[in-house]
Amino acid sequence: MLEINNLKSRIGDTEILRGLSLSVNAGEVHAIMGPNGSGKSTLAQVIAGHDDYVVTGGEVTFMGKNLLDLEPEERAREGIFLGFQYPVEIPGVNNAYLLKAAVNAKRKHQGLGEVDAFEFLKVAREKMALLGMDPKFLNRGVNEGFSGGEKKRNEILQMAMLEPSLAILDETDSGLDIDALKAVAEGVNTLRAPDRAIVLVTHYQRLLDYIEPDFVHVLSEGQIIRSGDKSLALELEEKGYDWVREAANA
Amino acid sequence: MKQSALSIDDLREAVMRLPDDSLTATREAALASLDEQGFPSIRDEDWKYTDLSSAIDVSNRWLAQGAKTESTDALRKSIKAITASIDAHWLIVANGIVDLTCFGEPADIEVEKFSDSATPFVMDRPLADLNAALLHDGLRVQVHGATEKPLGVLLIDETSGGAGVTQANVDIEVAPGCDAEIIEYQVSSGSEDHYANSVIALQIDQAAHVSYVRIQNRRAGHIQTARLSVALSADARLNMASYDLGGGLVRNDVDIDINEAGADATFNGLFLAGDGQHIDNHTRVEHRVGPASSSQEYRGILNGRCRCVWNGKAIVHKGADGTDANQANHNLLLSDHAEIDAKPELEIYADDVKCSHGTTVGQLDETALFYLRSRGINKRQATQILTHAFAADLVARAPVATAKDAITALVEKRLGELIKEEDL
Ligand SMILES: Nc1ncnc2c1ncn2[C@@H]1O[C@H](COP(=O)(O)OP(=O)(O)OP(=O)(O)O)[C@@H](O)[C@H]1O
Ligand SMILES: [Mg+2]
Repeated sequence: MLEINNLKSRIGDTEILRGLSLSVNAGEVHAIMGPNGSGKSTLAQVIAGHDDYVVTGGEVTFMGKNLLDLEPEERAREGIFLGFQYPVEIPGVNNAYLLKAAVNAKRKHQGLGEVDAFEFLKVAREKMALLGMDPKFLNRGVNEGFSGGEKKRNEILQMAMLEPSLAILDETDSGLDIDALKAVAEGVNTLRAPDRAIVLVTHYQRLLDYIEPDFVHVLSEGQIIRSGDKSLALELEEKGYDWVREAANA
Repeated sequence: MKQSALSIDDLREAVMRLPDDSLTATREAALASLDEQGFPSIRDEDWKYTDLSSAIDVSNRWLAQGAKTESTDALRKSIKAITASIDAHWLIVANGIVDLTCFGEPADIEVEKFSDSATPFVMDRPLADLNAALLHDGLRVQVHGATEKPLGVLLIDETSGGAGVTQANVDIEVAPGCDAEIIEYQVSSGSEDHYANSVIALQIDQAAHVSYVRIQNRRAGHIQTARLSVALSADARLNMASYDLGGGLVRNDVDIDINEAGADATFNGLFLAGDGQHIDNHTRVEHRVGPASSSQEYRGILNGRCRCVWNGKAIVHKGADGTDANQANHNLLLSDHAEIDAKPELEIYADDVKCSHGTTVGQLDETALFYLRSRGINKRQATQILTHAFAADLVARAPVATAKDAITALVEKRLGELIKEEDL
């Protein structure tokens, strides 16, 4: 589904991704772990199409298409969803309005008509109930004054409404209380399907207790230096990153 | 660059041609005063950014053609459409001629024409002189009680047969303790060049409350100079919002006089400017006594090649202790060719005063733009959504509920046009 080959990217004069390769197939769940500043969010933003990040080498294909040729909105409509590490507050833009505009943009791309307003609200309320979100969040400004955990739940709500083929969740577990973590994990697990893939960026093994990954990768200094199964996450939790780095340098 | 001069001889002829009535003496005095003072020029500090050469040019052409003002066939239709869009007791000045046909018979509002009244009207500035010299007739309005519908003041211009120049003058007093809603709507259309000059005075008596909405939607290229002077008595309250959507060269002066303690003036404004527009909002608050408060927030959205000015002046006079004055101006510049001159000015001569001011000039938040695009919303729509959000806040603050739908529709429409202008 997603093929990343020797990807290099910089922001300003700083090279951040330095030849990163990753292959994600339909039906799989991947976890990406790694020290602060290693380039995890950069990878997520490059896949989503943020133009502050300049791609200086390598290829990224998504379902056979050259992803790097597409605008951010086209990538989203093709089925990529990024759950932001720091969701943006947009005062004055109604949360329900954004959800509906996003759903309609995708439907239009698929050649479908606009979603029925009544049906849309019904589905949104159902998903919110599942995530333990009060329906009144629909009528607030996007993330405006939301607590850290509320913002993350809101990201998952958007994901649930958009039903992406590839969801990249950047530290969606950070800042969540235990109930919220369970709710979010449930939201993600509901999405798990043979034709979908999920990439979780996380610092904590705890999330992986709820969402079991097929693969765990370690990103360090802009490269994936080790990949393994879920036991790698446990090992990292126990020993930290130094041993992986040493092993990679050896 | 030398500013062309108004041809006073032609102007004198035009004044002579107006009906000989109780206004004649005032017109002649105003003409003499204008002759002496001359038109404002960019050498005047207050007019530094706004060059009235084009207004003088239109005026001279109009004068040279015999100062005739003919109405278009479509004028009645335009009046009908606007008075139908907002339910109010409408006082109309159409092409400079007062028209009471859409006023109805509200029990608590009294109206009389300047020509029927003995009270002279005051002029203190060149543009007020021009207004007085060329004024057909003005309206004096007394609001005595709360009416079920707002009072509407529609200044509409739609002339044919060459350049047009029109004057409007309305004087409103809201009696002590009354709650009044007022809508001022300035609009123009037609294919001819036009210059409209208006003077509106509003006296808010003791403990009276006025909610005031101003809409300016003149045709592209048309010129407007408009002065609104508001005087507040003890415990009087003004809650006002202005919306500037159209016009070529627009200069609004809002003067607020706080003459007695306990008064509160809140006035906000939104201006939307695109290619070829110049919108200048000058506000001036005189805090003569305290305690009293004033607060203003103007927001501008600029795209294409345009220039806007916001100049907010607050003067706190000696002894006006307990004054609280706030001013803010925030601007969104969507193009490299858009220009804003934002200038807060505070003059404080009292001791116990709370004043604040802030201005910002910026582009759309890139992070928010990317966030929306990452949800599948295209760049143009995302730009539109964020720009609307910036404007929506001020639309929500329109204090006259009856006018809100019309304002929302006008703002949405104008924003749609503005964002189309940009090459996204
Ligand atoms: N706009 C920017 N300007 C300069 N440097 C940047 C910018 N954005 C990111 N970086 C740098 O790029 C590096 C990678 O950042 P990134 O956010 O991808 O790390 P991360 O792995 O997600 O870290 P964390 O675990 O803390 O979220 C960091 O050193 C960061 O300081
Ligand atoms: Mg990160």
